[in-house]
Amino acid sequence: MLSLKLAFKNLLGAGLRTWLNVLALSFAFVLIIFYNGMIDGWNRQAQRDTAAWETGVGQFWHPAYDKYDPFTIEDSHAPISEDILKEIENKTLAPVLVSQATAYPQGRAMSVTLRGIDPEQEVLELPSSKLPQSDGIDYAIIGKSMAHSANLEVGDKLLLRWRDKNGTFDAREVEIADVFKCDVPSVDNGQVYIALSNLQEMLAMENEATLLVAGETFEMRELEGWDFKDNEFLLADLQAIIDSKKMGGSVLQGLLLIIALIAIFDTQVLSIFRRQKEIGTYIALGMTRAQVVGIFTVEGGAHSILAILLGAAYGIPLLLLLNKNGIGMGYAEDMAFDIPVAEAIFPYYSFRLILMTIMIVVVTATIVSYLPARKISKMKPTEALKGKLQ
Amino acid sequence: MENSSIIRIEKLVKRFPVGRSEFTALNNVNLTIDRGEFLGLVGPSGSGKTTLLNIIGSLDTPSEGVVTVLDNSIASLSHKQSSKLRNRHIGFIFQTYNLLPVYTVYENVEFALLLQKLSSNARKKAVTDALEWVGLTDKIKSKPAMLSGGECQRVAIARSMVKRPEIVLADEPTANLDSKNSHHILQTMKSLNKELNTTFIFATHDEKVMQYLNRKVSLEDGQIVKDELMKNSKN
Repeated sequence: MLSLKLAFKNLLGAGLRTWLNVLALSFAFVLIIFYNGMIDGWNRQAQRDTAAWETGVGQFWHPAYDKYDPFTIEDSHAPISEDILKEIENKTLAPVLVSQATAYPQGRAMSVTLRGIDPEQEVLELPSSKLPQSDGIDYAIIGKSMAHSANLEVGDKLLLRWRDKNGTFDAREVEIADVFKCDVPSVDNGQVYIALSNLQEMLAMENEATLLVAGETFEMRELEGWDFKDNEFLLADLQAIIDSKKMGGSVLQGLLLIIALIAIFDTQVLSIFRRQKEIGTYIALGMTRAQVVGIFTVEGGAHSILAILLGAAYGIPLLLLLNKNGIGMGYAEDMAFDIPVAEAIFPYYSFRLILMTIMIVVVTATIVSYLPARKISKMKPTEALKGKLQ
Repeated sequence: MENSSIIRIEKLVKRFPVGRSEFTALNNVNLTIDRGEFLGLVGPSGSGKTTLLNIIGSLDTPSEGVVTVLDNSIASLSHKQSSKLRNRHIGFIFQTYNLLPVYTVYENVEFALLLQKLSSNARKKAVTDALEWVGLTDKIKSKPAMLSGGECQRVAIARSMVKRPEIVLADEPTANLDSKNSHHILQTMKSLNKELNTTFIFATHDEKVMQYLNRKVSLEDGQIVKDELMKNSKN
């Protein structure tokens, strides 16, 4: 307590030098929280959007299905049982039938994935209700990115060619009923959504599905003949991308922190060099060398406390403002990132993030202050009192 | 008050390494100092005054011989024990005052008491008393940079006296002061010596200080050459 009191007194007495160090450290402190808050906010948003648009609370896959291996798609379908049909009627499960196809927008050929989706489903946010079923025309809905890359608009016709269950090629023209806006690239890029019953008929897979998406109201249980995949598994790729972004950011944060810590280290070295007489006086007045080392260490470490207070003074309003308004990212129509990016990211500052950042700043500042302060324990007090360099 | 010996020095030798050889700063020094003495270690520069003062104050240790201060053998004290000895029983006054620049007069004087973990009220009373002794109660909020040399040295005296030590060691306390301030300081110390029976030991070659001494120990080349009682000292 005495060390802390004396350290703050000395620190504040040092004036501008202290505040310049504190300012540099507070920038690092606020920026670390901001950057991590943004990544966390992005992560939460991406996970929420992916769950809402694609994965629900989990998916039941046909045992042969592997979303990373297109060769499995052909064999990944099974009839929907009565038991499952009841769940679909209750809107707790949404069946999806998946098939590969080639689309010919304006004469060009492009690989697409056909997804049959129940227009009545309420599990996913996908606007499947915009798929009219009974006027003799086949309709499809696509995402904005797909529309952009295929140069399609609502009302345009799109020729599709696919192989059915028996390996027979077939082709049909569908009309684009809706172009939806979605932040999740895997829901949009190269995906064409058709009414489930239409696709079942096109593929000769009556009453069959590739996977079943579980909604929040689904009472979790095993479904015979289907493998459950939870969101930890389904969102693992997303998490890996976010983690890699975080790792990349931590290099930048580390550099920023190092610059601020070098300033403190430099101040401490200079302080011990210039304040030998003061050190000698402390010892003459009855302080142990360990206590003097303590004062100088706490003094350097106290930069971090002041930096946190200063950072809080300008950082809290700034971060709250960004949290309220979000940070505009624009809408990426071509979705080049292959990762869900909303138009605005709302940073998320968790208690853990703030606590960890405080700990990192305080601990590192204290360590770099301790390193030069160790020299004091080797000083001869008689020489220090004379202010002689040792 | 009892005037027993509180410092005993026997066959003290202090050597300092200088390059590959050694310099003998004190050579076979024998000295006994009683409680309540107002004693000066006098001699030219390099005679060993400050070295002797530093060893008595447990800031340094003897190379040979025995130095006992308040029944503590200086050579055998650990860092912690010597710190405790300085904090509780020994006050220091330096030629350049050595006040802590960022602290006020009050805080500078209070510093030694903070280490003793006294209550806030006890500290306040002790600091006020000490500042009254040196006549600086009107400057308690001033910082050292705002004080004259004489005032700074009076703060240093108050700081050394606030814990009511048995021994005060003063290294050239008047060297940076003019004549008027020097006498003022010395009178203050002399009255504290009488009032509290504190032992004052000076390292000095200032004639003004010598006028106040009860005992003058002359050093030359690290040896005591004369030890005389001063019968006609001021006050």
